[in-house]
Amino acid sequence: MIFYGLPIRLTTLLTIWLLAAGLSAQGQRRLAPADSTAPRPSTRRVRQPLPADHPRAIEPGVRRPGIYFPQAPIPGRWRKSIGVVFTTTPPELTEEIRVNVPAIDFNLQRGISKNWFITGRILTQVVQSNVGVGVRYARPLTDRLFISAGDDMHIWFGALQIKDVFNSQAYGLQNFPNVSVGYRFTRDVQMTLKGEAILDAYYKSQVGNLTIERNAIRYNGLAVTVAIEQPLYDKKHVTLGLRAAYSNFNWQLWSLYDTFDRNLFYPQLIFGFIL
Amino acid sequence: MNTRYLVLVGLLVTLLMGCRKEYEAPVPYNFSNLTGSGKFSTAIRQSINGVYTVTDGSDKFGAQVVLRWTYTHTGADTSHHLSVFTSNVGYFDMEPQPQTGGLAVGGYWRRLQDTEIGLVQLTVNVRRSGAVSPFTGRLSTGDTLVVSGVYGDGDVTPTKRLTMTYARPLNARPFSVLAHRSGGRTSDLLPASENSVEIIKMASRLGATGIEIDVRYTKDGVPILYHDNTLNLRLIQKNGLAGPIEEYTYQQLNTLVRLVNGERIPTLEEALQTVVDNTDLSFVWLDTKYVRSMTQVQSIQRTYLQRAKAAGRSLQIVIGLPSDDAVSLYRDLPEKSNTPVLCELDTSITRSINANIWAPRWTLGDQTAEVNAMKAEGRTVFVWTLDEPQFIREFIDQTRFDGILSNYACVVAYYHYSQQ
Repeated sequence: MIFYGLPIRLTTLLTIWLLAAGLSAQGQRRLAPADSTAPRPSTRRVRQPLPADHPRAIEPGVRRPGIYFPQAPIPGRWRKSIGVVFTTTPPELTEEIRVNVPAIDFNLQRGISKNWFITGRILTQVVQSNVGVGVRYARPLTDRLFISAGDDMHIWFGALQIKDVFNSQAYGLQNFPNVSVGYRFTRDVQMTLKGEAILDAYYKSQVGNLTIERNAIRYNGLAVTVAIEQPLYDKKHVTLGLRAAYSNFNWQLWSLYDTFDRNLFYPQLIFGFIL
Repeated sequence: MNTRYLVLVGLLVTLLMGCRKEYEAPVPYNFSNLTGSGKFSTAIRQSINGVYTVTDGSDKFGAQVVLRWTYTHTGADTSHHLSVFTSNVGYFDMEPQPQTGGLAVGGYWRRLQDTEIGLVQLTVNVRRSGAVSPFTGRLSTGDTLVVSGVYGDGDVTPTKRLTMTYARPLNARPFSVLAHRSGGRTSDLLPASENSVEIIKMASRLGATGIEIDVRYTKDGVPILYHDNTLNLRLIQKNGLAGPIEEYTYQQLNTLVRLVNGERIPTLEEALQTVVDNTDLSFVWLDTKYVRSMTQVQSIQRTYLQRAKAAGRSLQIVIGLPSDDAVSLYRDLPEKSNTPVLCELDTSITRSINANIWAPRWTLGDQTAEVNAMKAEGRTVFVWTLDEPQFIREFIDQTRFDGILSNYACVVAYYHYSQQ
């Protein structure tokens, strides 16, 4: 029986995430001073309209800064974020070693109509990178609840030239059909639950003059992301997210040449500044 | 952010972690380990060895497989096993069934990349003028061997048909199929743990002609087999011990620690004694996982080379040098003659210490110029540790290496023996 339990590195990431979430919550409180006259949570069932300056009051239809929240940008406007993604390597692959090199994460979105928008994303660790483009349809269900559906296509590529160790390169194509559900708790705090299927469309790897290629489309796994977007300090907004991917292949670990034909768990911590 | 939402996220993460699937692949077959080959005489076994075309069962095991007999010595006697190596990272491990009237074998099949496993029962027949009848040991011109029977999934009684028809003999080109960590990784759910005596006995049934083992020292200076830097649940059963294995005495490890499948951590001497006494393996690669004098390992190497020679065995035991530290330890040996070594570093270092074998990483590619140069100097060249099946095929088909070290010896065996 092989069961490794909660990896220590993952608990570290969770701790960092919770600390960041706490800081963010503090920032949120600074933006919205406590209102002693605000109704207690138990009275919310009454559904009385909240005063406009209440921290939980929202303005219907207003777009808040966010990358994950399923709401299209204003047509013709851009949304951008830059941050880092930490991926914990599965023990099945790296055994007793945990490699945790953060990837720089740059996101770009542009509204093309009231409900449609395009997305772009670049993830890079210098020796390996991932570039994706996609399209999404988003619409509100209520003032607070939003949904979206979309599809992203990603190209990843990596090259390792290390004396006496690697003379290898690889690239591939992956597709991510996705759906998101977002809930706006206050005017400035929004949470998103995103589900993605991961499809492998193409893979090519080369060591020296030897090459292998796979071009069949196959199901590779799925991923669930929980992201919170809210102010941090000085009205700057941030994304804090956890992505749990169960997949057969992860592009960031291409150089390990994983041979397991089963889904492995890749937890990711996402942190981004919304520009 | 409200605390309740943090709790919600925590619950989600816990739920995701809790949903992790536990992987195991218990072997559904109990081997009798009877000595002798029963009705499978030497001539019959030799006639069965070969490359076969699969008809019934090709969707499961591929269009072509390799059948090869191996044996394990048990004292003065010998147990025989028939292995089948498939193109989809699988193997069969079967033993003769003496209770049946004809030539029958039974055992299990396994695919190493996941948890697929099942029972298999086969008989050996001959096709003569279109008619199939039980094989009695004599092949006439135009006869074709047909090994057929049934297989199943898990421990259920097998019912699915499997038919394998002899196509050609095994590729006879000399080539070393080297099994990593004595046979394969514990994480591939093999029936025995990596670097155990039990998996050394099993290595040839997995396709290996040689093995690589990892040598470390206990606190009291006993060389043992263990791969990782620390005691951890990847390799051992839960016992409360942790930290570097070098901090424990041999007695502590022998008493308190069991490998994942329940075996003891063997000493280097127990491992080599097993190779000499119980196996037909022709090569042992002692990987250097320690930083201390190499004298003791050198002494053990010499002892077991002499024992193998006395037993009439053609066995090579080499000390692997994976790092500059290991090369320095080797250079510090006062007497280096008759100490075969394998160098994993570049060709200039290999030449400078006059290592018999050069073994670069497979991720450097074909390295044709270097391989040709080293072979021209009379050295053997291996590549390590190559598990990707398609690259294994490429290395066998397109390079001039003398052997491949792999966690999937069955894949290397399949592509080597089936090469035309």
